[in-house]
Amino acid sequence: MIQSDALITDVGTSGPFVRVTLAAPAIAPGLEAGRFVLADLGDYLRALLFPARIEAQEFDVLVSPHHPAAALRPGIAVDLIGPLGQGFEIPAATDRLLLVASTAHLPVLLPLTHQKPGSAASLREKPGFSIALLLSAPTAADLYPIRLFPPAVEVTIVTTDGSAGHRGSPLDLFPDLVRWADCACIADDPATYPALAEIVREVRAGSGRRFVQALVVPPMACGVGACQGCAVSVVRGTKLACTDGPVFDLLELR
Amino acid sequence: MTIDLAPNHKAGLVLANPVMPAAGCFGFGAEYARLVEVEALGALVVGPLTAHPRRGAESPRLVPTPGGVLLHTGLANPGLSAILRRYARVWARSPVPVIVHVAGTAPDEVVSCCQRLSGLETIAGLELGLPDTADPDEATAIIQAAHASASQPLIVRLPLVWADALCQAAVEAGADALTVAAPPRGTAWYAPGNHFITGRLYGPFVLPLALRALRRVAALVSIPLIGCGGIHTVEDAQAFLRAGAAAVQIDGAIWRDPACLAHVARTLQVK
Repeated sequence: MIQSDALITDVGTSGPFVRVTLAAPAIAPGLEAGRFVLADLGDYLRALLFPARIEAQEFDVLVSPHHPAAALRPGIAVDLIGPLGQGFEIPAATDRLLLVASTAHLPVLLPLTHQKPGSAASLREKPGFSIALLLSAPTAADLYPIRLFPPAVEVTIVTTDGSAGHRGSPLDLFPDLVRWADCACIADDPATYPALAEIVREVRAGSGRRFVQALVVPPMACGVGACQGCAVSVVRGTKLACTDGPVFDLLELR
Repeated sequence: MTIDLAPNHKAGLVLANPVMPAAGCFGFGAEYARLVEVEALGALVVGPLTAHPRRGAESPRLVPTPGGVLLHTGLANPGLSAILRRYARVWARSPVPVIVHVAGTAPDEVVSCCQRLSGLETIAGLELGLPDTADPDEATAIIQAAHASASQPLIVRLPLVWADALCQAAVEAGADALTVAAPPRGTAWYAPGNHFITGRLYGPFVLPLALRALRRVAALVSIPLIGCGGIHTVEDAQAFLRAGAAAVQIDGAIWRDPACLAHVARTLQVK
């Protein structure tokens, strides 16, 4: 973990998101899906940014057009603290990885759909390895375009209004997919987590620790566990999202 | 430039620099080890801690406010025994004096903490936080309990709103120095949860309130004062020193910019 300037090298769009590329050679190598940086974007609290694409020298973040990072422009230097937190842990024995996300939370999971250069245990090189993504949005217009995913990612779409894919809730399709998976990673509104946890308990009783991992991101101040501000209630007390998370065992959350 | 925050105490509390982090903002000394040049500081203020583990407040604990943040931790900490197990070695390695902040929850708990910390050479001083609701009698009881059971110099951190009302009682009860002041409390509406949250306020807007409190206290007592509240720049720290503070504590600014601690310390050292 360091505090260091990153240079904005590119800004574009990626589906409904603004894509910002940050050159941060001292920070990028330590990033992975679910880990984050705190960026000084002018507000009193630093903005929490998750990498959506990670390279050796740089990383991309995908943010909504209303996010303060969307106003960044190439050539600007941004003060970062990172890498921070504990990311998604995909066991080396995983053959069937399930990703579950609403479009708004999808960027956090995107590094899991791409190979990270230099990663010795790149799962996508593993014979027989497959990834399924359960992606939800209110309408088809809100979706992240399927063409932007690597071909190897099997995408299942759910929209609330039925304008694309399955009409209804991701909960409708989650039971079958979680039966299929041997590891699952979720990035969604935490209000959906109790229902997802109930399904996991029902259809995959006795699954090991961290079989299903879920992202929880409360507001953070320090990012290092000093302020005690980002508490997350878990079965046996309280943990801090910044140092113990922000990725938690779904069944551990209370 | 050295500052003795406890000139009337047999051990004294000499700092090589007037800048230190505020309790509640720096963890227990290990959290910022890779982000802060500790050797540039005058001291570390770690904690708060209590005798027994406290789970603290439920989530959410933190609400952004205009220009700052409201934080309610409920004094979450693993308790004195666990803290000593985890951090005593960190404190022993500290290049600067370590001051442990004890939450002044009740006299018996304060005594329990101070007695346990009393013999530890790695701890240069204790800072006692008073409850925001303490009247002079309650404050006196807590401070006397701490003073009687601690061998190290005792700093008392005053509630901002009652700083001038409590400062003389604190001195008479045995305080070697006073921190002026604890972050003020406020209330914010937490829309996602549809409820209010009350907690401590951090941000530059606290500075004029704390500076006013420090000037009033400086007119009433003659022991060393530590200015604390809303310091974000070298100029902010200098304002407290001009107002009569012997040293300063930096609070929420550490979260925004951990490097500011050493920057303020080095700049004041040069001047």
